[in-house]
Amino acid sequence: MSNALRWFLWLWIAGVTVAGLLAAPLAQGFAGRAGDAPESSRIVYFHVPLAVTSFVAFLAAAVWSALYLWTRRPRHDDAAHAGVEVGLVFCVLATVTGGVWAEVQWGAFWNWDPRQTSIALAILFYGGYLSLRGAVEDPDTRARLAGVYAVLGFVVAPFLFFIMPRTVGTSLHPEPGGARMDASILWIVLAGIAGQTALFFWLQSLRRRILSLRRTDLRFGA
Amino acid sequence: MSGAGLPPRAPSWTAETLALFGKEWRCELRTRTALSTIGLFAFTTLVTVSLTLGPIGATEEMRPAAPVLLWLILLFAAAAGLPRSFVQEEEAGTADTLRLVARPSCLFCGKALYNFTVLLLLEALVTPLFFGILRVPVADPLGFAAALVAGGIGLAVGSTLIAAMVAQARVRGPLFAVLAFPILLPLLKLAVDASLAAASGAGAGAALELAWLYDAMLTIAALMLFPLVWHP
Repeated sequence: MSNALRWFLWLWIAGVTVAGLLAAPLAQGFAGRAGDAPESSRIVYFHVPLAVTSFVAFLAAAVWSALYLWTRRPRHDDAAHAGVEVGLVFCVLATVTGGVWAEVQWGAFWNWDPRQTSIALAILFYGGYLSLRGAVEDPDTRARLAGVYAVLGFVVAPFLFFIMPRTVGTSLHPEPGGARMDASILWIVLAGIAGQTALFFWLQSLRRRILSLRRTDLRFGA
Repeated sequence: MSGAGLPPRAPSWTAETLALFGKEWRCELRTRTALSTIGLFAFTTLVTVSLTLGPIGATEEMRPAAPVLLWLILLFAAAAGLPRSFVQEEEAGTADTLRLVARPSCLFCGKALYNFTVLLLLEALVTPLFFGILRVPVADPLGFAAALVAGGIGLAVGSTLIAAMVAQARVRGPLFAVLAFPILLPLLKLAVDASLAAASGAGAGAALELAWLYDAMLTIAALMLFPLVWHP
């Protein structure tokens, strides 16, 4: 990423942060348990983009894994590995910000809401992906098995993210697109999603380059 | 004419799958490693539950916990014994022979069928014992049996695929649980919900239908991905 693009990304994220914290109106219907914490709704500008970006990250990792299984080019495996590592950071941050907001809105950090269950399983799954990588010595076998596991995750994911929350139990979360919000709030959330997604792809590309260099070093015994 | 001189005909897909299924059972009956591990694990856990919690089915408040405990026993017993099927092939050096002679889809289905029959046997032994000892009434036994079968299919299919992956890793025991549980937990939740509904007489309903759907998705994915796991 060029210097100009990097600066543009930082300015974008800073702009979304300032707009979310200072300029945007407070969301109606998010006034806290006792109606005494209306400012808590501003966490939506971080929580929702983090959650959407982690979903994009795991989708991208599954695509890179499928590409690796198709072409057997190690750079696709590096991309998937980096995508899961960085995506997991976004996923954990989405869980923590969600927990903080849930404490204010619903009275508990964790309620086993279907969406909370889905994200907890995603963390377990991609933690398992990293454990699998650590448990296989041969690089080709490691890349192949990790690729299969990542693709398997995305076969199961639609069930976790879209079917179970709508059929088993009632969710405290609003349906996607179901929450009525002021147009300015929606635009800042969308700008946040764009910024966080760009940040993910930048961090992922940095991590992928480190992994590729490390693999090349190991191959030549440096 | 006896057909001498002609190359032997390749067995049909079904015959090959059944032959591999039979091989699994013959190997198991020689050593009885998986059966004894799974059976003893389940029995020990059942005794521990009964000893610590008592007849939980007798009290209205504790009754909903019974299917959860039953499925936990089945899940952990499966995790203790089912990974053996592929680990044994790698340790005995028979995996390479299987790679040469068996079609991956036949091997996967043969192993998954074997794992499923082991689980069915376990469920048939443990479930009546569990309900007898803990005094849990079941209003809809057929619905409960359907939930056990639906959960058993998913457990067998998921365990078979993950076992094939784990057999190629350095650390095998703990890795199976780490990899399999995130895949199996949604199914476990559905199986518990369906069992709970059947036990209370509400009908297994939507949870059972979703469990069948999950089984179908997992089976299709496993059949597509297994050749990639199996062939280097």
